[in-house]
Amino acid sequence: MGGNSGKKISLNLKIYRQERKGIKGKMVDYLLTEVSTDMSFLEMLDMLNEKLIKDGEDPVAFDHDCREGICGMCSLMINGEAHGPEKETTTCQLHVRKFRDGQTIVIEPFRAKAFPVLKDLMVDRSALDEIIIAGGFVSLNAGNAPDANATPVPRNNAELAMDAAACVGCGACVASCANASAMLFTSAKISQLALLPQGKVEARKRVLDMVKKMDELGFGNCTNEAECEASCPKGIKITNIARMNREFLTATIAANN
Amino acid sequence: MSSNKLDAKIPEGPIEKKWDNHIFKSKLVNPANKRNYRVIIVGTGLAGASAASTLAELGYNVLAFCIQDSPRRAHSIAAQGGINAAKNYPNDGDSVWRLFYDTVKGGDYRAREANVYRLAQVSNNIIDQCVGQGVPFARDYGGYLDNRSFGGAQVSRTFYARGQTGQQLLLGAYSSMMKEVKSGKIKILARREMVELVKVNNRARGIIARNLTTGELEKYSADAVILATGGYGNAYYLSTNAMASNGSAIYRAYKQGAFFANPCFTQIHPTCIPISGTHQSKLTLMSESLRNDGRIWVSKKKGDTRAPSDIPEEDRDYYLERIYPSFGNLVPRDVASRNAKKVCDDGRGAGASGLSVYLDFKDAIKRDGENVIKEKYGNLFDMYERITDENPYRGPMRIYPAVHYTMGGLWVDYNLMSTIEGLFVLGEANFSDHGANRLGASALMQGLADGYFIIPYTLGNYFASNKFEKINTDNNAFTEAFDKAQKFFNKLMTIKGARSAEDIHKQLGRVMWEYVGMGRNEAGLKKAIAEIPKIREEFWNNLKIPGETNNVNVELEKAGRVADFLEMAELMAMDALERKESCGGHFREEAQTEENEAKRDDANFSHVAAWEYQGDNKTPIRHKEELTFEDVKIAQRSYK
Amino acid sequence: MSKDCCSSFWKTSITKKVLMSITGFILCLFILGHLIGNSLMFIGADIFNNYGHKLMSNPFIYVIEAILGIIFLTHVYNAIKLTIENYVARPEKYYMKVRSGRGATFASSTMIYTGSAILIFLIIHLINFKFGPVYIGTFDGTQMRDLHKLMLEFYQNKLNVIFYVGLMIVLAIHISHGVWSLCQSVGFNFDPYMKYIKIKAKFFAVLVAVGFSSYAIWASLQGGF
Repeated sequence: MGGNSGKKISLNLKIYRQERKGIKGKMVDYLLTEVSTDMSFLEMLDMLNEKLIKDGEDPVAFDHDCREGICGMCSLMINGEAHGPEKETTTCQLHVRKFRDGQTIVIEPFRAKAFPVLKDLMVDRSALDEIIIAGGFVSLNAGNAPDANATPVPRNNAELAMDAAACVGCGACVASCANASAMLFTSAKISQLALLPQGKVEARKRVLDMVKKMDELGFGNCTNEAECEASCPKGIKITNIARMNREFLTATIAANN
Repeated sequence: MSSNKLDAKIPEGPIEKKWDNHIFKSKLVNPANKRNYRVIIVGTGLAGASAASTLAELGYNVLAFCIQDSPRRAHSIAAQGGINAAKNYPNDGDSVWRLFYDTVKGGDYRAREANVYRLAQVSNNIIDQCVGQGVPFARDYGGYLDNRSFGGAQVSRTFYARGQTGQQLLLGAYSSMMKEVKSGKIKILARREMVELVKVNNRARGIIARNLTTGELEKYSADAVILATGGYGNAYYLSTNAMASNGSAIYRAYKQGAFFANPCFTQIHPTCIPISGTHQSKLTLMSESLRNDGRIWVSKKKGDTRAPSDIPEEDRDYYLERIYPSFGNLVPRDVASRNAKKVCDDGRGAGASGLSVYLDFKDAIKRDGENVIKEKYGNLFDMYERITDENPYRGPMRIYPAVHYTMGGLWVDYNLMSTIEGLFVLGEANFSDHGANRLGASALMQGLADGYFIIPYTLGNYFASNKFEKINTDNNAFTEAFDKAQKFFNKLMTIKGARSAEDIHKQLGRVMWEYVGMGRNEAGLKKAIAEIPKIREEFWNNLKIPGETNNVNVELEKAGRVADFLEMAELMAMDALERKESCGGHFREEAQTEENEAKRDDANFSHVAAWEYQGDNKTPIRHKEELTFEDVKIAQRSYK
Repeated sequence: MSKDCCSSFWKTSITKKVLMSITGFILCLFILGHLIGNSLMFIGADIFNNYGHKLMSNPFIYVIEAILGIIFLTHVYNAIKLTIENYVARPEKYYMKVRSGRGATFASSTMIYTGSAILIFLIIHLINFKFGPVYIGTFDGTQMRDLHKLMLEFYQNKLNVIFYVGLMIVLAIHISHGVWSLCQSVGFNFDPYMKYIKIKAKFFAVLVAVGFSSYAIWASLQGGF
């Protein structure tokens, strides 16, 4: 089956446990044996939970849904990296074969003031929705749209917009940023819409509103370290942040003119 | 029996005029009055999100519920391939009529003609709407929208955004929703799961939802309830659905009197990554666009353990190309899946388990070069390699069918209203448009059609045609539903057995896949109907849920869903048993042609089977809605 | 711009970054000017001292110094503010956090430390030279401060050389991230050019470090004045 199928390894897990929102948590050690290397990382956690349930303990709560790397619901800091060590890969697509027999794996929730922990590894990332609510849309009501081919869009712009639109909103950029900044997330949406004629109309208002909201929510400031880009499972580039900065400056200078 | 309880309310007139006539005849709600209505929408996938934003734009107050932490996570996001529309931009002979015809035929003549025609009609508006929202569809060098041919269609009518079309369409709908959250017309209630439907005077007037963060049960009242909660494919445990995808909302509505139509119609998708072991928690689909360039084969020899590269050309059986020379690898999903199962059952399957077939790009790479293939399918190849640790550029991929979509769902009339007044059902959660088999790139189309362009008209008509007494959540009906939900969760918590919900779910999944899967027969279905109640009994006696109700409790959530699957599975098996014909995704081994093709029985089964709940452990009643075909000529599907 | 827009404008994270970037850019220009000006010492004491004299006797120098001072303080104030805000943005720290190796660098993650060192250095530097011992000499018939002599004398102490060279390396580290960062902050970063911007930033950093260090080392080698 998989390239190295049938192999079983043991893992020392060090997992952050927090019983409920607003209280202090702690790191807890678990030994998990007979882990198939073909398992996905989350299937390994499923296995741990199955064991915990059998032992009458509370299973580890973590967010996940599609398990195919697209919904953005899975998170986790794995050995100090958002979504673990594999490049451009979400936690759900990470596999146990990337770890050694006997390795210690530290698993923590994504941390930021704007991402409070709900339980164990589960965090509240609704702050990202708040940023979109501030302006991450085109004000078009159903029924108003002209024919889809009425406005041609240069292919390159469409491609760049798609690159930015690939963001899954997982929050890895915030988690991996030394400053818990949400600039990459915010800029991805601003870029996508600024690159397309349909989004151009309200581009100025959008960037001012979204940046303001982002700041209000308690995210940190960008120090251009690019850890966000490095940890982004969808390869969103920091050139989007540069574009957002440009958009912001032009919007500010041009405001009310 | 043909039922007078089922009035599809199909408008009069020629098929191409029905929808326009219906819109014209529909009553309107005065713009100033719209703000007096409140609508509950459960689910924020394509159907739910598009309905929420459009209804809010019109002025209704919307409460939008989703099970995930954000509406953007709904599983529509995972659709890869594309969305169909009859734009005919490529000038290759497409039309609304052809899309309609293809969809009815693809559904093996088990869909309602009028609904499908309307779907084809509004398909073009969807593309306009999405482009307007800033969905970055693929474009050619002139800046115009690109199309591809997809999943058995002979015209290029599929619009796409790389391999992430579902994601982009959902984010488009989500952004429209967020616009209305800002305007104050939508309130998002995330991390909440509907646990009861509340009826007042026989109309759907609210829901009880469990707050998944605090564990509290919450009451919400409204003037209408819309369910857009997707399919119930997770009844098989392993499917391409997301982990939290479930059938509980529609099943609990079914228990309140909404008829469940064609529950046995499930689609098995042919191009999934095979199972790697018992730890498997879900299956991952690869876009069937892969079949455009990949060739499917197995060894001609049984039990061939050679590596694929060691199997010479003359020992390879490109079985789809051999059996279906004109469609080849592009036959519809059900045909491709069934043939894969057949060659594997024949002992010719690939891989250690023998449960997979090869999907080979060797010839495509030779013809177009690795770069072209990489550009087209690079992300899919990467995904395959990440999961299997095998490099698809070097050797063939292995694929196997997996449960993917459920065509069945709550019965709805032309207005998308269920048999419960005021309960509307959209998207995959209803049964309406795909008959017995859904064509590729049509799910996105249906979800958005229902939400953007159909429900805004039909819901208005419902409001304008009825009088609504003011109610609030102090009403007795809410208290009763609340108590019922509380009892349900308490009962689950007090079992204190030994097995996890997941473990029991897996057991159910094995039975379902074995007996209610790709090939079904009377003996197998009867076996399933005998087995499922036993698993149900095991569940209610031996379930173990750690933790407490008043906190995040993932095990309790899962248990609630599995409890419903354990009942729904039986309904699916019963429906499959009753439908003694093969059609689309429903293949009864007793009903096949000499060439092993699905054989329909139009004389006896040209109808929708809609099941009416009768109470716990009582056999539900099977109603029929006869299907008449005036505009499509019925034929035996043939892809030879 | 309306007043309201103005006040909120100064509060945004991007504005703070742009402010860092503009002040940083001007400070870089100052460093470049300082570097070029100081290179005159290789040519001779008279030219070097003349340059210093002309610069300091121009009345506008006080205005320029004041502006430079404000810019420098703005840079420092903003840096401290950003650092505090960024610290607060993650109240609970990670048990384990590693750099991916694909993003942050040593330079980028130590900006506040290298910056603080530069601040302290600057104060010492001003004490050493601007407010240091005053030697008077006559060049081209004019009496003026003999900075050339001061420098040669100062660098006779090997500890001073080590300290200054060390600090120039710190400055280079600060600049190597700073220059690239200032481009990014004002939006001057386009995909194909990113690596060139980064190379130029590094080149400038090395130039500054090598240039200033070469003065200190050269001066230390000019014995017996």
